[in-house]
Amino acid sequence: MINSSSAASDSTSPPHDAASPAASRARWLFGERRRPLFTPYLFLAPGFFVFALVMLYPIVRALQISFYEWSILPTAESVFVKFANYERALHDAVFWRGLVNTAAYMVATVPTQIVLGLIVAVLLDTRMPARTFFRVLYYLPVITSWVVVSLLFKYLFSSDAGFVNWVLHDGVGVLDHDVAWLQSRWTALAVVSVLGVWKGVGWSMIIFLAALQTVPKDLHEAAAIDGAGAFRRFRHVSLPAIWPTLLFVTVMLVIGGFNVFISIFLITGGGPAEETEVLLTYMYRQAFDFLDFGYGSSIAFLLTGIVFTLSLLQLRFLRRPTEFRA
Amino acid sequence: MVGSTYRQGGILTLRYVLLAAGGVVMALPFVYMFSTSLKAHAYVFEIPPRLIPKEPTFANYQSAWSSNSFDRYFLNSVIVASATTVISVVLSSMMAFAFARYEFWGRRLLFGLLLIGLMVPTMMLIIPQFLLARTLGLMDSLSGLVLFYVGGTLALNTFLLRGFFENIPKELDEAMIVDGARAWTRFRRLFLPLSKPALATVAIFSFLASWDEFVWALTVINDPDKRTLPIAIALFQGEHATSWGLVFAASVIAVVPVILVFVTFQRHFVGGLTAGAVKG
Amino acid sequence: MRYRTLLFIPLLVSLAVAAGAQGSIRPASPARPQATTTITFWHAYSSDSPEVKTINNVLLPRFHRLYPRIRVRAVAVPYDSLHQKLITATAGGTLPDVVRSDIIWVPELAKLGVLVPLDRQMRDFKKLAKLTFPGALSTNKWNGRYYGLPLDTNTRVQMYNQDALAAAGIQQPPKTFAALRTMAARLKAKDIYAFADGGTSGWSVLPWIWSAGGRLTNASLTKATGQLNSAASVRGVQLLVDLHRQGAARFGNVDGGLATSDGLAQGKFATILDGPWMFPIFQGQYPNFRLRTARVPSGPGGSISVVGGEDIVMTTSSKNKGQAASFIRFMLSRFAQLEMAKVGQMTIRTDLKKQMVKIRPYYGIFLEQLATARARTPHPQWPRIDQTLESYVAKAVKGDLTVQEALMQAAREIDQLLVRR
Repeated sequence: MINSSSAASDSTSPPHDAASPAASRARWLFGERRRPLFTPYLFLAPGFFVFALVMLYPIVRALQISFYEWSILPTAESVFVKFANYERALHDAVFWRGLVNTAAYMVATVPTQIVLGLIVAVLLDTRMPARTFFRVLYYLPVITSWVVVSLLFKYLFSSDAGFVNWVLHDGVGVLDHDVAWLQSRWTALAVVSVLGVWKGVGWSMIIFLAALQTVPKDLHEAAAIDGAGAFRRFRHVSLPAIWPTLLFVTVMLVIGGFNVFISIFLITGGGPAEETEVLLTYMYRQAFDFLDFGYGSSIAFLLTGIVFTLSLLQLRFLRRPTEFRA
Repeated sequence: MVGSTYRQGGILTLRYVLLAAGGVVMALPFVYMFSTSLKAHAYVFEIPPRLIPKEPTFANYQSAWSSNSFDRYFLNSVIVASATTVISVVLSSMMAFAFARYEFWGRRLLFGLLLIGLMVPTMMLIIPQFLLARTLGLMDSLSGLVLFYVGGTLALNTFLLRGFFENIPKELDEAMIVDGARAWTRFRRLFLPLSKPALATVAIFSFLASWDEFVWALTVINDPDKRTLPIAIALFQGEHATSWGLVFAASVIAVVPVILVFVTFQRHFVGGLTAGAVKG
Repeated sequence: MRYRTLLFIPLLVSLAVAAGAQGSIRPASPARPQATTTITFWHAYSSDSPEVKTINNVLLPRFHRLYPRIRVRAVAVPYDSLHQKLITATAGGTLPDVVRSDIIWVPELAKLGVLVPLDRQMRDFKKLAKLTFPGALSTNKWNGRYYGLPLDTNTRVQMYNQDALAAAGIQQPPKTFAALRTMAARLKAKDIYAFADGGTSGWSVLPWIWSAGGRLTNASLTKATGQLNSAASVRGVQLLVDLHRQGAARFGNVDGGLATSDGLAQGKFATILDGPWMFPIFQGQYPNFRLRTARVPSGPGGSISVVGGEDIVMTTSSKNKGQAASFIRFMLSRFAQLEMAKVGQMTIRTDLKKQMVKIRPYYGIFLEQLATARARTPHPQWPRIDQTLESYVAKAVKGDLTVQEALMQAAREIDQLLVRR
């Protein structure tokens, strides 16, 4: 093949290339200039086309719906109400309670999943017998359906018959009475958070495991020869190397935390008296039970706005610290 | 290196103790699900809970599998999930390559749009997506499911892979460029092989996401012949009573392919892969 | 590269399989005679249920013999997702021809304009309507027209555990509010709850409000204030709240815990209210438990329960309304109603009352209770109204509000919903 990476080479074709204008033009467009014009777009095009078609376009439509008192009937007229749905949300006590509940869930689950996922990944990142067995074991909750595990937790924590009360009260005797875990706001959210962590650890573990593979082993060896202990090697060799992954996992978990839905939906249904409502359960009910898609969409986009801002802040402030750079 | 074998032995034991303790917690609900699937007539859970059924039976598995075209739904799910996985991994790794290695006009904007795609609650997109599927004539078709599943998994996969691709040292690219390699060659010969663990991860995620998806499949598929597994499982839940033994048996059947996919791909997580290459 | 090949093999395989599957499906469906029309029918019977077997193996073959030119494609949709699927299908204009709909969705769908008013569409509507129980028929009425016909019906009656009552030295189930109050303390002494229910929604509390002589709204469905917070309505809810305060009653959404059916069978709850579907469930799960039934305890307003069940409706988007009507008629026929009764679906036909008890003796008490049972408010906003009622009664049960305050506030909010027709 031809071509060097220098920008200058574009103007002068190397002598052994049949200097057809078409070839040089093709090189100019797709070739290896410092700033290739089309190459990145060619790589992006097929994927982004699909994404734009089945995600972006519906997002724009949903955004549009949020400005209407929208009628689900194609034939009926929808009324343009400007920001009325958004204003309504800001004055809706249940919306705010849902936001607080959602944020509480996020705060409870995100750091826990990161720390536990990282610990398990480090423990599993080695050649050892039964490695695959353990990896599958820790990944089991991830692949078990949300519906099934939600119902399972609902059962485990139910107040008279539940396994947890049975252990804590009748078994160990820590509690002197059965606790109605799922019937008051904070205990119910605690149960759902435990479920979220339990189900999510395997997810962050598998990503961290993949990231740990990219840490050059000789760096570890060099650090070991210098007398660095396991923890210091992790801190100074592994951690900087997997920092982008850590950032990715954090952003994704924050997004996931804000999108908590099925567990609340199936375990408490937002009750009693809308105490444990999170944003998505509230949104779902507005849209699919009450057919108020305009209001539902506005809640969805308020949520998106919050999460987007948080993610940008994270991406900006949690950049890989310069002193870590290998 | 003299005393280190002894020390390593100790560390290994500690590893096992920790992993086993955590493993029990992780596995318990699944074990419970499995044991319930072996119980006869378990409309609801028995009290106190019993992990080993008194008279284990495979009757639930038999009736789950033989219930109306469960095998057909299983096959549909296999087709949809494998097609989604392959297409999504290919497309998202290409996008990730562009984001990781090129500065171009609109880069931040396009990436921001992908991020937004991750954040909007998909439940709210159901109706617009449904209208779109109808316009495109993709109702009641497995390829329609694949298209939407691919679109739904692209953002996450691209975001994840971009992080890994960015970690590949620029010197390696430059070495290949000096050798005259073009973008596609570098993508294929350098980025894909060096990112096997990450590609395996996104493959696992894509498979799982499309294998488990319920709401969208329920919405666009009306033809009973085109249904996927999660719908078949949900159909065991009745209005007043649910045959939990059947639901759990069906769920256990449904988990098996995911475990197979996981075990197949996770062998790419073998250490030492990159040590030589990266330093090259 | 090895990895590349590895990546593309599954692609090829899955494409090939997909193509193969597509190919195999098409020739598999035999060419049908041109004159046959297919109508689609959505229902929510779970796939291992006896109802589904009767529909597919008994009713449809019979219908296809009677009407060789009509094919019915019966599609099961999970019950929990049927409402959502109906809503999306409405938005997309892809509803089936005929739906077996929960009675509480009919006014909502009618208001959306996706249901055909059957009293206009079917000439023999009056004749069919006359065959059915008035309470069940009323659930199809919206704005003066009938948008469906009842298909099956049920109601809640009192179910009790004789051993639990006997343990406290009580011989009879509570026949009145007063009897329930008196026995509560005695049962409490034995650590038995006198009454338990799953929640505080209309399905649960309306029997108490109605039996106390109260109402949720006025007759023209325009106002809840003055009705829901009337002295009579308050009396009904007060009974539940008092029992709860003295530890003699529990509600799933406030107290959590055991499902009412488990608690009853295990003797932890003395009485519950529930429907006819519980008989096979108890039989499967607690074969040694002898389930006994009585009417809902009566108050000043009588013993009045709540009507449940399903209606059968036709959609405006159906292209084969004549054929759809034939199918609806068939589903209301003696044959179909009796066959479905054998698998647990109580008939809505008054003339089949006698056969019901022969098919299942336990249907008797339900038929008796149905004579006075009422339907929940037939209003498109019912889901919201129900949510409001549930929330405020839960607050009263928890003691956050007095019953009077809770029902007053609930009534005010429901007023707002009622005007949004």
